[in-house]
Amino acid sequence: MNAMTEQTLPTAPDIQPAAASGLGYFFYKVKKSPLTVAGLFIILFMLAMMLFAPWLATHDPNAIDLMYRLLPPSAEHWFGTDEVGRDIYSRIIFGSRQSISVGLFVVAVSGVIGALIGCFSGVVGGRTDRVIMRLMDVMLSVPSLVLTMALAAALGASLFNAMLAIAVVRIPYYVRLARGQALGIREMGYVKAARTFGASRWHIVSWHVIRNALPPLIVQATLDIGGTILMAAALGFIGLGAQQPTAEWGAMVATGRNYVLDQWWYSGFPGLAILITATGFNLFGDGIRDILDPKQKGK
Amino acid sequence: MTASHPVIRKMTTTFKLCAMASAIVSAGLISSQALAATPAGTLVIGKAADPQTLDPAITIDNNDWTVTYPAYQRLIRYKVVGGKGTTQVEGDLASGWTSSADGLTWEFKLKKGQKFDDGSAVTADAVKYSFERMLKAGQGPSEAFPSDMKVDVSSPDTVKFTLTKPYSPFLYTLANNGASIVNPAVVEKQGTAYLAKATAGSGPFRLVSWQKGQSLILEPNPYYAGTKPSLKQVVVKIIGDASSRRLQLENGDLDVAEDLPEDQLASISKKPGVTVAAFPSLRVTYLYLNNKKGPMSDVNMRRAISYATDYSGIIKGVLKGNAKQMRGAIPEGMWGFDPKAMQYSLNLAKAKQLIDGSTGKGATLNFVYSSKDPNWEPIAISTQATLGALGVKVKLENLANATMRERVGKGDYDIAIGNWSPDFADPYMFMNYWFDSEKEGLPGNRSYYNNPTVDKLVRQAASLTDQKERTKLYQQAQKIVINEAGYVYLFQKNYQVGLRANVKGFAFNPMLESVFNIDTMVKR
Repeated sequence: MNAMTEQTLPTAPDIQPAAASGLGYFFYKVKKSPLTVAGLFIILFMLAMMLFAPWLATHDPNAIDLMYRLLPPSAEHWFGTDEVGRDIYSRIIFGSRQSISVGLFVVAVSGVIGALIGCFSGVVGGRTDRVIMRLMDVMLSVPSLVLTMALAAALGASLFNAMLAIAVVRIPYYVRLARGQALGIREMGYVKAARTFGASRWHIVSWHVIRNALPPLIVQATLDIGGTILMAAALGFIGLGAQQPTAEWGAMVATGRNYVLDQWWYSGFPGLAILITATGFNLFGDGIRDILDPKQKGK
Repeated sequence: MTASHPVIRKMTTTFKLCAMASAIVSAGLISSQALAATPAGTLVIGKAADPQTLDPAITIDNNDWTVTYPAYQRLIRYKVVGGKGTTQVEGDLASGWTSSADGLTWEFKLKKGQKFDDGSAVTADAVKYSFERMLKAGQGPSEAFPSDMKVDVSSPDTVKFTLTKPYSPFLYTLANNGASIVNPAVVEKQGTAYLAKATAGSGPFRLVSWQKGQSLILEPNPYYAGTKPSLKQVVVKIIGDASSRRLQLENGDLDVAEDLPEDQLASISKKPGVTVAAFPSLRVTYLYLNNKKGPMSDVNMRRAISYATDYSGIIKGVLKGNAKQMRGAIPEGMWGFDPKAMQYSLNLAKAKQLIDGSTGKGATLNFVYSSKDPNWEPIAISTQATLGALGVKVKLENLANATMRERVGKGDYDIAIGNWSPDFADPYMFMNYWFDSEKEGLPGNRSYYNNPTVDKLVRQAASLTDQKERTKLYQQAQKIVINEAGYVYLFQKNYQVGLRANVKGFAFNPMLESVFNIDTMVKR
């Protein structure tokens, strides 16, 4: 068990001072890294887009007009129109609601469930731990996109089912991370003390272990949002995600593919939106990983 | 050559060893580029969807006939006059035929020396066997023939058909894919399911391999008794993605490409070496409305959908004006067409009123379609939008083509979309197939329309020989089915196909859509 503790860095005692130094220190570090700031701005921009979609959009995203199909970008339609004459710019604006909420939902669900299972498994140890971890290994051994596709197809094509499928597939990553943390934390003095005072396992997991295992989990979650948006787009692309007429970036790229040779704007703009959003979350995730990593401290 | 440039540029910055390696690589690239144009004597056809079955007794999907039609022969065939398919017929396996004055008995004499692809002779027994097998299967193809039709062998090279009542389109139905003559020896030896994935006929070509979802390869039947085809091989490539089909046609990887999106035809035809051929056809696109169950079983709901369809938007917008709205079921160009038949038009107020008065109010409908035809999705979205404005939710289900047909065959849908092209030049192909309650489901009555009056009219029309009398009956029935909105009659449009300029001799026949006369087509 000790060997495992050494592998999982950063360990909890190192993390403590970083968390303790507070939000001010965090923003100080963020400001010093231009890429993190750029990521943060992209995220804020996208969140604003989600919230203010009805005011930002120039057209009703689902209003069709068969006489104005596949028009190139113009003053009237900034990003052109699609195959039934819907305004692509407005659809991208509204599509952000689907795509980004998928990212946030999946990370929230899989992060919470994964953290709980992982911490529990780590604290309990023994046979339960082995069974849980082997199960997670089985899930990890199947390529995640394939597993997601199988789950999404079995549940039926809809955006919600696609979100569930991605969430399930992402759980093992959090379980492994959280368990590694838990293994270290459970040997800490304060945990032992709590145990001596007769604290229940549930109390130990929820009060001591999860709280202290949080920083690496947050990093993982931030990095995951970008990947999840891509995965949701991939599911939308093969028709397992959002269904017509709901605007969703991946599905837009997929339909636009049929027209890509003459009407590049159809899949081009939603593709760009996916690229920018995923990049934003990844930059920000990388940034906070560096900040929370104690080894980087003082550099 | 272009692909080798980056390789050569890299050469300057790397070692000599690398230079040698890249020279080999670029040589490989060049030779594979030369191969990109299809080899002489090989015709490559790009299709959107894989065949479902190759058994001529089962398939009624033109998409399958691309492979089956040239692999089999039938007693008669459509004449090609001046490079164009006609609706007149001539003997294919038959050298001639006679019929009784009452049209109840038909005798066909077989040509001598006709052989199956294993070298055995095509006999009258094989003809009898094939027809009986097809009738016994009771699938779509048998719908074209009276079920009590008798086939007898009167001499080794003569077959006699006996009908119990006159059936006007009979002679033409013998040129159908369903009337293909199969090799009885092969079926008996391999089992009847064998023909679903292989061919055993006497046609000019035979199937040599089928990689599901990838390609089918046809080669000439060495025993074929007719004129030897000029093509040495025909490859049918399955390419689901419309853009890929287009690119491959433009690059010369395909010689023929089907189902190209309407919006792209203009720019495709501008490419060097590619032509887009358009042929007047009797192909129609229409919506199936499930008359049997669900909200669509209410006639007011069906009328409401008919009024809530943006015909002119679909025709002018989606089809760029290359189509015209149908007037009932019988398309223009087919005898029996009624130029005065009632047409529905977009009228949301009327549709709203009808929905409010129907049992389907507040229902959520599903609309099943596939990507087989690139026009289907825009039409589905348009229907969804207009109905949505009337408070009817429509859930679009984009399925694989085979799954969609299965759902239609089981009646598990509210609205679905399809294309239909006649197999013989008779309004029977529309009126009897679409509305006769005996043909419910995939055979033709895909709306599950059921009206005893209409049944009586169309059946009577099929039994008469006088065209004027038949026209009257069919038009009478058509008035009813338009009024009852059995389907949404959308539009008829030209058949368009992309061809490489060096492909010559394609004779389109409106009765045989998706069938290519590969026995007489040539590549220059």
